[in-house]
Amino acid sequence: MSILGLTLFKNVSYLQFHADWISSINSSFSIRLDGLGQILCLLTAVAYPLVFISTWKTQYKKSHNFFALMLLMQAGLMGVFLAMDALLFYFFWELALIPAYFLCSQWGGERRIAVTFKFFIYTFTGSILMLVAIIYTYLQTPTHSFDISAFYNSSLNNSSASWVFWLMFIAFAIKLPVWPLHTWQPDTYEQSPTAVTMILSGVMAKMGVLGMIRWLMPVLHLSFYQWGDTVSTLAITGMIYASLIAIQQDDLKRLVAYSSMAHMGLMCATLFAETQSGMQGVMIQMFNHGINIIGLWIVIELIEREFGTRKISELSGLAHRSPAMAMLFVVVALANIGLPLTNGFIGEFLMFNGIFASAVTKYYIVFTVLAGITIILAAVYTLNMIRKVFYGETNSLTTAGYPLRLNEKMALAIIVVLVFVIGLYPRIFLNMTQETSEFILKKAGVGGLFGQ
Amino acid sequence: MNALLLTAVFGVIMMLSSFLLTSKTAIRGLAVSGMVIVLAANVLEMMGIVFFKIDTKDMIAFDRFSLLFNSIVFISTLVYFLLSARDMEKVGINYGEYFALIFFVLCGVTLSSSFHSLLILFLGIEIISIPLYILTGSDKRNLKSNEASLKYFLLGAFSTGLMLMGIALIYGATGTFSTNGITTSPTSALVIAGMLLLMFSMAFKVSAAPFHFWTPDVYDGAPTVFTSFMATIVKVAAFIAFMRLFNDEFGSLQSRWQLLIALITAITLFIGNITAVFQQSVKRMLAYSSISQAGFMMMAIFAMNADAREGLLLYSAAYCLATIGIFAVLMKLKDYSFDGFNAFAKQQPLLAATTTIFLLSLAGIPLTAGFLSKFWMIKAVAGTGKYLWLVIFAVLMAVVSVYYYFRVIQAMYFKEGDGQTIEASLPFKWTLVLLAGIIVLLGVFPNWIIYWLYF
Amino acid sequence: MSSVPMSHILFVSTALFFIGMYGLFTRRNMITMLMAIELILNSVNINFVVFNKYLYPDKLDGIFFTIFIITIAAAEAAVAIAIIINLYRSHRSIDVENASEMKW
Repeated sequence: MSILGLTLFKNVSYLQFHADWISSINSSFSIRLDGLGQILCLLTAVAYPLVFISTWKTQYKKSHNFFALMLLMQAGLMGVFLAMDALLFYFFWELALIPAYFLCSQWGGERRIAVTFKFFIYTFTGSILMLVAIIYTYLQTPTHSFDISAFYNSSLNNSSASWVFWLMFIAFAIKLPVWPLHTWQPDTYEQSPTAVTMILSGVMAKMGVLGMIRWLMPVLHLSFYQWGDTVSTLAITGMIYASLIAIQQDDLKRLVAYSSMAHMGLMCATLFAETQSGMQGVMIQMFNHGINIIGLWIVIELIEREFGTRKISELSGLAHRSPAMAMLFVVVALANIGLPLTNGFIGEFLMFNGIFASAVTKYYIVFTVLAGITIILAAVYTLNMIRKVFYGETNSLTTAGYPLRLNEKMALAIIVVLVFVIGLYPRIFLNMTQETSEFILKKAGVGGLFGQ
Repeated sequence: MNALLLTAVFGVIMMLSSFLLTSKTAIRGLAVSGMVIVLAANVLEMMGIVFFKIDTKDMIAFDRFSLLFNSIVFISTLVYFLLSARDMEKVGINYGEYFALIFFVLCGVTLSSSFHSLLILFLGIEIISIPLYILTGSDKRNLKSNEASLKYFLLGAFSTGLMLMGIALIYGATGTFSTNGITTSPTSALVIAGMLLLMFSMAFKVSAAPFHFWTPDVYDGAPTVFTSFMATIVKVAAFIAFMRLFNDEFGSLQSRWQLLIALITAITLFIGNITAVFQQSVKRMLAYSSISQAGFMMMAIFAMNADAREGLLLYSAAYCLATIGIFAVLMKLKDYSFDGFNAFAKQQPLLAATTTIFLLSLAGIPLTAGFLSKFWMIKAVAGTGKYLWLVIFAVLMAVVSVYYYFRVIQAMYFKEGDGQTIEASLPFKWTLVLLAGIIVLLGVFPNWIIYWLYF
Repeated sequence: MSSVPMSHILFVSTALFFIGMYGLFTRRNMITMLMAIELILNSVNINFVVFNKYLYPDKLDGIFFTIFIITIAAAEAAVAIAIIINLYRSHRSIDVENASEMKW
C-alpha cells in the first residue's frame, strides 16, 4: 500500500529521470511524466487501491505470490506509461505481460490454462512484431538512438514506414483490442480472477492507446494519416460487432468484456481522426473507462460470489433486496454509456466532436453516424441488463439479498464520486492533457498539413 | 595460448587421475579446480599476461573475440561441472576419463575459436568431435547410446570428409591455408565449390537444417549429462568457428553466400520450431529447441557485422547457461516426458522458479539474457538492410517456440499431479539460483560482455 | 619421361570421393561404411598432394596437411572400431539396419 501512496505523490510534479543503460546501442533508462503519462499513472494509482479494497475479503491461495505479481505488473504498467526510450518501453511492456500470464493461469477459472495461453501468444506475437518495428526505426534514426526525440526524426521512406506502422499497430491493436484481433479478450476477461480482470481491462488495455498516441502518431505520422481510414473502418466495424454480440450475451462478464471492446474501438477511431478535442477526449475517456469498468467488475464479482451465477437469465429483482448495490451499479453503468452529468459523457462528447471535426478523413460523417449507432446499442444492452438483473420479480436465487460490505461500499462510493466530479468539472483533466495533445498533434503534422 | 595448453595438460592429468585417485570426490574436485585454473589463465591472458610465448607462424590468432568466447565457454563448463558432475557417476565406471575427454574437447574448442589457418580449423573440429563420439557411446550397456554414437560417428566423419574436400579445393585455388580472405580469382569454380562444401560441413556441425537430422537422435540417445555438454558448449564452439571462417576467409564473397545462408536459417528455424511443438519428451524437445536456437545463431552468420559478433557472444552465453540449467534439473527427474514435470512447483518451488527463468530466457522474454541476445540478432540482420522477411519470419518462429517452452512452465505450475520426488542438495540449488541470477543480470546489463570485446 | 597431367590425377581423386560417398549411403555393413569413409579421406589426400606438387611446388603445405589427415583418420578408425565392437556385443551383428532403436 505504501508503494501506491508513493505513486500518488509522484503525480504531483512533472518528473524526469535519465540514466545511461546500454550505452553501446544508445539506449538509456529515460522516463518522463507528461500529461498523457500523468493521467494514466493517476488511473493506475487509483485503480490499484480500488481493486485491493474491493477484493479485501477474497482469499487467495498463496496470497503473497498473488500480491507480488500484482505489484510487479503495476511496475510494468507505470514503466510503459512513463518510458521515453523505445527499448525501455518494450521492456516494461513485456514486464506487465508476464505477471498477467502467471496471475491468470494460477488463480483463474476452469479453462484458465488454455485461455491464458491464447492471450499470451496473441500479445507476445504483437509485441515481438513491435520489437522488429522498433529496431527498424532505430536503424533509420540519424543518431542511432532509442530515445523518443530521435525517433521523431527517423527518416523512413514511405513504403517501409507503412510496414513499420502495421507491425506496431498490430501490437497495440491486440492490446486494445481492435477487431479482428480481439478473440483472446472475452475469454481472458471471463476466466481471469476478477482483480486481474479489473487491471487487464481497466489499465492494461490503455497501454495500446498510449502506444498509439506516443509511439505511432508522432513517429510515423505519414503512415498514420495514410492508413487512418482503413484503421478507423476496422475499429468501427469492431464496435458494431462487439455491441451486437453484447446484446446477445447472457453472461455478465462477457457482456462487460464486449462493451469494453466497443469503447476501446471508439478511442482508436477517434485517434485516427487526429483532432485536438478528440485527442483530449481519448485521454479523458481512458481514465473514465478505467474506473467505470472497475466499478462494473466489482458488482459482477459480488453477484457471482453471492448468488453463484453470472447468467442474466437466472438473475432478477436484485434491487428489491439490495438497493445500495443497485443504485451504485446503475450510476456506473450509465456513466459507462455516457449519460450527461457523468464522466463518460464528457469523454464521449469530446471524441464524437473530434471525429466529426476531423480534417484528415473524407468519411467523417459516416464514421460519426456509425459510432453514434453503437452508443444507442450500448444503451440497449446496458439498460436491458439492468432491467433484467436488478428489476422485476425476485426469484429463488435472489430473495436472500445482499447488503454491501464496508470495503465494497467504499470502493464503489469512490468510483461514483469520481464519476460525478469528472462529469461536472472536467477542467482539471482538460488542463492536464491540453499541452501533450497539442504537442503530439504538432508532431503528427496535422497543424502544418491543414493550417489549423 | 594459456588456455590451449592448460586444457590439454589437464586432459592428461585427468586421464592419469582415473587410476591414481580412487575417490570420486577427489576426481571431481580436481576437475573443478582444473577448470578454475584454466578460466583464470584465460582471463589473465585477456588482461595481457601470457604464460607461454610460442610462435605459431600465424596459424593461431588469439584476439579479443576468441579470448572472450573462450572465457564464456570456460565459465559455462565450470557451471556445468558444478551442477552435473555428480550425475556423470551414473553413466559408467570411467569417471576420470569422462573429465579427460571433456578437457580435450575444450582444447579443441580453444583451437577452433582462434584458428587462423584452415589446418587448425580442421584439427580443432576433429579434436572436438572424436572425444564426443566416445562420450555419446559412453553408456556402454545402453543400446540407444550405442546407436547414437554410431550415427554421430558416421555423419560426423562424412561431414569431415566434405570439409576436407572443401579445404583441398580452396588450397588448390589459393595455395595457402591461412585465412586471410580470398583475393585471387573469387569467381573460380574451385573457390565456389570449396566454399559450398565448407558451408555444408559447418552446417552439419552446428546442426542447421537440412543437415540437422542426426541431432535429435544423437542428443536423445546420448547420456543426458553429455547431451547437456554437446548441445551447449560444443554447438556454440562450432558456431564461432563458422563465424570466423566465413568472416576471415569468405568475407569478400558475402554477396554470393548470403542468400544461401538466409535460406538455411529460415529452414532451420522452421523445422526446429515446428517439430519441437510435437515432441512428448522434454529431452527430445530440447534437442529440437537446440536446432531452433541454432537457427537464431545462424542469423549472426548471415549478417556478419559488428552487431552480429557481439550478438553471437551474448547468444552463446545466454543459450549455454540456460540450457545447462534446464538439463541439470532434467537429469534429476526419472520421467523425461512433459507430464513428468506436473506439479513440480509444489515439490520443488526453488528449482521450478529457476527452471522458469531458464525457459523464459530461451524463449526470449525481456529481463533475461535470452531476450537481449535475440534482440542483437534481429538488430544485426535488420542492420544489413536486406532480407527483412527473414527478421519477421524469425520473430514469428520465436512465438512458436514460446508454445513448447511454456508447456513445461504450465506443467510445473498449473497442472495437477503427484510430482516426482527428487533429491537436490543445497549447493546444487544455490548454484542454480546463482545461474538464474547471472541470466537476469545479463538480461539487464549486457554491457558486461560487450565491454570486454572492445577494451 | 612425360609426366601424368594433373587432370588425370584429379579425375582419380574425384572418382574415389564419389565412390566413397556412394558406399557410405548404400552399404549397410558397418565395416564397409568405415572403409567408404577412408576412401573419401584418401581422395582428399590425393588432392592435397597433387595440388601441392603441380601448382605450388615451392612449399610443402599440402603434404603436411595429408600427414595430419592420416593421423586423424587413424584416430577416427580406432574410435569407430570400438563403437562397432560395442554394438556387435549387443546385437550380434554389424548391419546398421539392426541398429534401429530410434527412428531417424
